[in-house]
Amino acid sequence: MVSNAKGPIMSVLKVRVDLAKCIGAGQCVLRAPRIFDQRDDGMVILLDDSPAPELHAAAHKAADLCPSQAIIIEEIP
Amino acid sequence: MSLIDHAPPPRFPFRRVDPLQPPPQYAQARTTQPVVPVTLWDGRRAWLLTRYDDMRSVVTDARFSGEFANPDFPTVTEARVVVDKEERAFVGMDNPRHDHYRRMFTKEFSTRRMALLRPTMAAIANRLIDELMAQAQPADLVATIAVPFPSLVMCDLVGSPYEDHKFIIECAAGRHGLLQTPARAAQKARELADYFMRLIRRKEEEPGDDLVSRVIEEHVRPGNLSREDFAEIGAMILRAGHDTTTNMIGLGTLILLAHPEQAAAVRDQPELVSGAVEELLRYVSPVQFSPRRVAMEDVTIGDVVIRKGDGVFALNPAANRDPRVFPDPDRFDVHRDASHHVAFGFGIHQCLGQILARMELQVVFPLLLQRLPNLRVAANEGEIRFKDDMQIYGVHNLPVAW
Repeated sequence: MVSNAKGPIMSVLKVRVDLAKCIGAGQCVLRAPRIFDQRDDGMVILLDDSPAPELHAAAHKAADLCPSQAIIIEEIP
Repeated sequence: MSLIDHAPPPRFPFRRVDPLQPPPQYAQARTTQPVVPVTLWDGRRAWLLTRYDDMRSVVTDARFSGEFANPDFPTVTEARVVVDKEERAFVGMDNPRHDHYRRMFTKEFSTRRMALLRPTMAAIANRLIDELMAQAQPADLVATIAVPFPSLVMCDLVGSPYEDHKFIIECAAGRHGLLQTPARAAQKARELADYFMRLIRRKEEEPGDDLVSRVIEEHVRPGNLSREDFAEIGAMILRAGHDTTTNMIGLGTLILLAHPEQAAAVRDQPELVSGAVEELLRYVSPVQFSPRRVAMEDVTIGDVVIRKGDGVFALNPAANRDPRVFPDPDRFDVHRDASHHVAFGFGIHQCLGQILARMELQVVFPLLLQRLPNLRVAANEGEIRFKDDMQIYGVHNLPVAW
């Protein structure tokens, strides 16, 4: 998170998923259900690749908890 | 060099001093030597990881293998060597084989599939609570609820007849005992795979709305999965689904009842339930000697060099008590965010059934607390038998009154 003396600066968050790594553990769906879902076969679906600022914390948490590290987050200040 | 450097590392596993806390050696090591050598039953050296960050980095590092078949793979008992060697399910495989097999089963344990099971779970839990309430007090919550609840749910999901659940539990316990002979552990592992093979053949004749029938249709008939491989994976699923949740319910109830104010909050505030379950998972961490890996090359962690061929226990009970990640870690607090715990492991081998397990616990604890608002432990000193004899930790019994 980029910030200055006034607090956090609005940043743009880009989310990507790597289906080659996904094992369908479902952590992302539990932590950020507005950004991620699971397909019928259990693999990840990205619902929102540019989540609104109020969802950034959930996006980061989902990426951190993904056991197979299949979620990539890029923060563009 | 001091004399201490020449002393053999301590024998692992350690004994617990307080039955509700991990062995004190984990916290000691975390402050002095977080990657600490130990001696295993066979005299070999292995390493314990006691920090959360080290645990997560090792189990996601391809320089460490999770192949149970590797002759250097570390074990806590002689029986476990035999069991590991016989394990043919993807729990004991590295990639790419792991993901190939696991992905055939992710659908069966997805958030969607598990959500469909929730009403069934609640009905089963309510029926078992009825049975408990019909008994004389005190009654054993483990025998009446903790054991049958996940068994009934698993039988419903998999499609195995409920009358078989005692046999399945016996096979799981026989395989997971710390005091088991290698021959008996291997026999129990084999019996369960043979049982699952019979189940596959029965479902080929008479398919139903269950996991076995669906996997036959989607993967066995098209030739993606052999019956033999399915039987091994199925046995693993049955074992995992019976044993771990049982221990979470038994020990989890004991912990909740030891914190009555928090139990009341969980009972009265539905929004606290899922966080409370995460905290219980963190606090109990029943799969206590896991995950395990073997180094495929020399790897440096901090100031320690793990040599090629050395075994590593990336202990999830130790990681889950790391104060740098969970402040005041030995305090049980349903209000904390514990959702990043590693009780289900981490990396590609993280528990396949974790959504199922979470939902079972989210269903059973509030029902127990709501329907039995005066639920309390009714045991004399020493009467509760903790599972110091098992690889999966918990309680053998929990006498309760209400």
